[in-house]
Amino acid sequence: MSLKFGVLGLLAEEPLHGYEVKNRFEAMLGGTWEVNIGQVYTTLQRLERDGLVRPVGARGDRGKLLYELADPGRKALEGWLAQPDSGPQQLHEDIYVKLLVAARVANGGLNPLLGRQKRAYLQRLRDLNRLEDRARHDGRNDLARLVRGALLHAEADLKWIDELSEELNSGVEK
Amino acid sequence: MTELVRLADITKVYQGGVTGALNGVSLTVEEGEFTAVMGPSGSGKSTLLNLVAGLDRPTSGSVSVAGEDLGRMGETALARFRRDRIGFVFQFFHLLPNLTVLENVLIPAQLRSRESAEVPGRKLLTQLGIAELADRYPARLSGGQQQRVAIARALINKPTLLLADEPTGALDTRSGDQVMELLMQLHSQGQTILLVTHDAKLATRHAARVISVMDGKIVDDARLDTAERAPSDVIRLRGEEATR
Amino acid sequence: MTAILVKAIADLRRRRVQAAVIFLTVLLSIATGTMALTLMSQTRDPYQTAFAAQKGAHLQVSFHPTTDPQLLTKTPAIIGASAAGGPYPATTLEFRHAGTTFNVEVFGRDNPAGDVEVLNITSGRWPRANDEIVLTRSFSELNNLAVGDRIKVVSVAAAPTLTVVGEVVDIDEGSADLSSQHSWVLKAAIPALTTPDLLYYVMDYRFATDPTNSQLMGYMDRLRSSVPPGSISGSVNYLLIRNVFNITNQIITGVLGAFSVFALLATIAIVATLVTGIVISAYREIGIMKAIGFTPSGVVGVFALQIVIPALAACLIGIPGGTLISQPLLANSSHALGLAYVPSFSISLDLLVLAGGMLVVSIAATLPALRAGLLKPITAITNATAPRGTSGRRLRQLAARLRLPRPVVLGIGDAFSRPLRAVLTLVTVLLAVATAVVAVGLPRSFELINNSETGLGSYQVVVNRTNAYPDADVMRTLNAQPETARVVALDGENVTVPGISDPVNSILFRGDSSRLGYMVIAGRWFTGPGEVLAPKGLLQDAHLKIGDTFTGNLYGNAIQLRVVGEVYDISNLGHRLFMDYSTLPPNTPNSSPGQYDVTLTPGADVNAYVRRVAAVQPDLIDVRPSNNAIIGPVKIIDTVLLVLAAVLVLIGIGGVFNTLLLNTRERVHDTATLKAMGMSPRQVMVMVAASAALLALVGGLLAMPVGVELNRVLNDVISTSTGNDTPARAYDVFKPFELVLIPLLGVVVAVVAALLPGRWAARTNVVEVLHSE
Repeated sequence: MSLKFGVLGLLAEEPLHGYEVKNRFEAMLGGTWEVNIGQVYTTLQRLERDGLVRPVGARGDRGKLLYELADPGRKALEGWLAQPDSGPQQLHEDIYVKLLVAARVANGGLNPLLGRQKRAYLQRLRDLNRLEDRARHDGRNDLARLVRGALLHAEADLKWIDELSEELNSGVEK
Repeated sequence: MTELVRLADITKVYQGGVTGALNGVSLTVEEGEFTAVMGPSGSGKSTLLNLVAGLDRPTSGSVSVAGEDLGRMGETALARFRRDRIGFVFQFFHLLPNLTVLENVLIPAQLRSRESAEVPGRKLLTQLGIAELADRYPARLSGGQQQRVAIARALINKPTLLLADEPTGALDTRSGDQVMELLMQLHSQGQTILLVTHDAKLATRHAARVISVMDGKIVDDARLDTAERAPSDVIRLRGEEATR
Repeated sequence: MTAILVKAIADLRRRRVQAAVIFLTVLLSIATGTMALTLMSQTRDPYQTAFAAQKGAHLQVSFHPTTDPQLLTKTPAIIGASAAGGPYPATTLEFRHAGTTFNVEVFGRDNPAGDVEVLNITSGRWPRANDEIVLTRSFSELNNLAVGDRIKVVSVAAAPTLTVVGEVVDIDEGSADLSSQHSWVLKAAIPALTTPDLLYYVMDYRFATDPTNSQLMGYMDRLRSSVPPGSISGSVNYLLIRNVFNITNQIITGVLGAFSVFALLATIAIVATLVTGIVISAYREIGIMKAIGFTPSGVVGVFALQIVIPALAACLIGIPGGTLISQPLLANSSHALGLAYVPSFSISLDLLVLAGGMLVVSIAATLPALRAGLLKPITAITNATAPRGTSGRRLRQLAARLRLPRPVVLGIGDAFSRPLRAVLTLVTVLLAVATAVVAVGLPRSFELINNSETGLGSYQVVVNRTNAYPDADVMRTLNAQPETARVVALDGENVTVPGISDPVNSILFRGDSSRLGYMVIAGRWFTGPGEVLAPKGLLQDAHLKIGDTFTGNLYGNAIQLRVVGEVYDISNLGHRLFMDYSTLPPNTPNSSPGQYDVTLTPGADVNAYVRRVAAVQPDLIDVRPSNNAIIGPVKIIDTVLLVLAAVLVLIGIGGVFNTLLLNTRERVHDTATLKAMGMSPRQVMVMVAASAALLALVGGLLAMPVGVELNRVLNDVISTSTGNDTPARAYDVFKPFELVLIPLLGVVVAVVAALLPGRWAARTNVVEVLHSE
């Protein structure tokens, strides 16, 4: 979803060629999302099919087609921006299920699991920190804010692991 | 790399305490390392710092810093040790309110010898960007400025070890960032730094080594990979599924 | 109300050391004050009481032996006396006992009681036979005589032996260490003890109301006109005796009073400092107290109570204590008056002191505590600690420029960081050091005067001769000794001076008298006949100044006298004349010197000389080394001064200690920071000591001129009360190095007082203090 609306957002500024869309999209996301040109064209075609964008000028050599935002596209973009992310918390990482599985399988040996996960989180935290620093250093405050969001998520993950460890260990000592 | 700090099987029990503040902790820190000690409040991390600084004595176990066994030192020797080898930065700055900024910075040097340390003192203030504050009193300074004065004070005697106990705890985000930047710069110039914090973001920001303390024990000692990573290796944004 | 009390007591228990400081300082100053006030209230003219009880004679007049005793019995009616005693035959008696010769006037009197000058028999009984004699108790005590002792009279050729059968107190005489004494035998015994030319008569006169000085002069004039001219040979009035008696007490109570005020001021300063300090340390607590419902006056009450409670305890011990200590001094003066000692104190005075003392302390505690009451709760809570003093930078810079070590520099800067507290401490130190200065200086002034009165260094041997041994023989004996360097002979006569009611006791010197040690205050010593010196008292009362001439009357002869100088002499409260023996008109009857002041050659053995000369005529001359001992009253005053100085120094130490305690407690945070930075425990102690040293140094230096001036003022007051001007030398009793040494000693004492607070500060637990935020 975000790719589609990201493209719409880019075209809202000015009409763009396909490769321009790819470049700008990657730049906007500061290197955190690399798309291939094929994805971009597919997305553009879908958008054109749905009437949200329209080409400017003559058809022909695909790479040289300029696209612009149509009114329905503008409305769709505004609608997307207006709508908050609601619905269930999306947990994509394996740790959640691993935890449940290990509880059954590992026979109380959760500590090594947690320890390793914590290390990984620490490393992630460090990397995110560096990324945020670089973004600010490069003047990309919008990107820095995004990274900050990720950083706080990672911190939360770490806190969760700490809590789990504490709960497990105090349980053992009792 | 030489070993700078060695804690061997340290236990610290306070009077009236049921469990110890530290229980059988062993740790070494190498010269030039930036180490963060992380843990929730009450975990013993501050106690650890106090022991390394010679501000407190362990109930059992030994502490040695820069080759000197702190256990063998009397109060006067420990004072000298703190003066010459340790720079301490506190959460609440602890500047002397009736001395000017410059006077505050020069104290450790003046405790050491009668020679005027004004020149290196002013130089430090300049390095830290607060040269124009030299004659002001701490009460008139912002938190960030005060902490920078405290850092200058900690550095005046060119300490072997710089200890920081929640240095950004009393500061707003921006000042806190500046302070951490400073610490990073100092580290890049070769200063060995031991940072204590409960904030994981802070701990992992500049430190390459993160020690986790919980209930008086070291539960983890992580050396992190310091290589720079490409943004896309750090964040993966999900949108549509990879497409066709 | 209970809540206030509960809180106050809880706080008191926490602040034990400070409670102790308050207790001790209030104790010391209240005890001193009570002692002074008790003395002042109880000794207000005890003399007058005893005088009335013993029906003392207002006027005692001596008459020539040629006077008709019958005429004398008519004189009371002539001058309007309401009661009279005598005429008593009298003469001068010299006797020997235990190797010493003594001199008293002996009166013939058959009845110790009567209408005037009732003699109070304190031991033994009145004589019943002609070989019995009664002495004054004062004389017996001074000279180790007792009832039952046998004395050998040497003033008459027959040298009879008399037995001492009793001791009395005579209200018409001063104490033996200040004036010569009377003794009594039966009337019939007198002829055997005298020669006709040495006999005289004494009349005692008493009036319905106590006469003033001018009235006494009037009575004397009337008396003089009612008897043949030249009949009156001398007189003594009660005013003189009373003044002499009262002086010691007046000086003591005056000194005590003045220094009690000092002690009180110092205590007030300490209380004020302490309360301010407690308020400052409890800033946050005050906010909380108010937030939970203490009214402003309740808050003030809590702090004031913390002072009032130990102060009350101190008063309850100090007031009885001070009253008790005053008793020995009161007993001393009762004893001198021949009164039985009755513990005398005034309960109402004690209660008054209690009320007054508590009032003063409460005010001193409440005023600073008002600040606590006025504090807004939210200000107090959010400010946590009171705004700290930031002054002291200049001091630090000055100290740094002197290249002092850093802990000293910091300590010096700290001393004045709270100016008010520093000033109060300075006041305490100043009072203590000034008192110490006076306690050192005044006794020295006294000693100086004492030495001049007793001729220390000027003559070493005093010889007294009896009438049986002629003057020429004495001079021959003395001049025959190889060690005799100089002999000055002294003759005592009574000279009538215009404007003075009683004839003035005068000393006539034969020989080179200018170097006998008398202190000439102004003008010069006499160089020939007719020139006189006198103390201020006489000059003032007779309206004379240096250069004036007046006509004196000696044995009925008018002699021209010119004042050439003012001299220091305390006898008779300054009523004395000093002149050369050549001033005496020739053929004056019965006048030849009786006392000889002998100066020996340097290095001579005084005791050997004394033994040798005494051996020449043991019965008829009395030879002894000159006695330079300090007289009793002066010893008492010296002791009182010493005690006062000790009290004030203790209070001063308490003040410094208190201030240091407050300072180190307030600065505990900074001390912890400094320790974390690497200040060693010893450096912390040095820092605290430096603070104390500076306060003591400044206070001490300021105190020196105050103390020296006070010494001067007290000298003047005491001299004037004895009828003299202070000799310049008496002011100058401090050597320059002492004026520097005393403040330095003050610094040393302060540094010692700083040891305990310094140690506590050095032991600050850095971790606890710094991490307790």
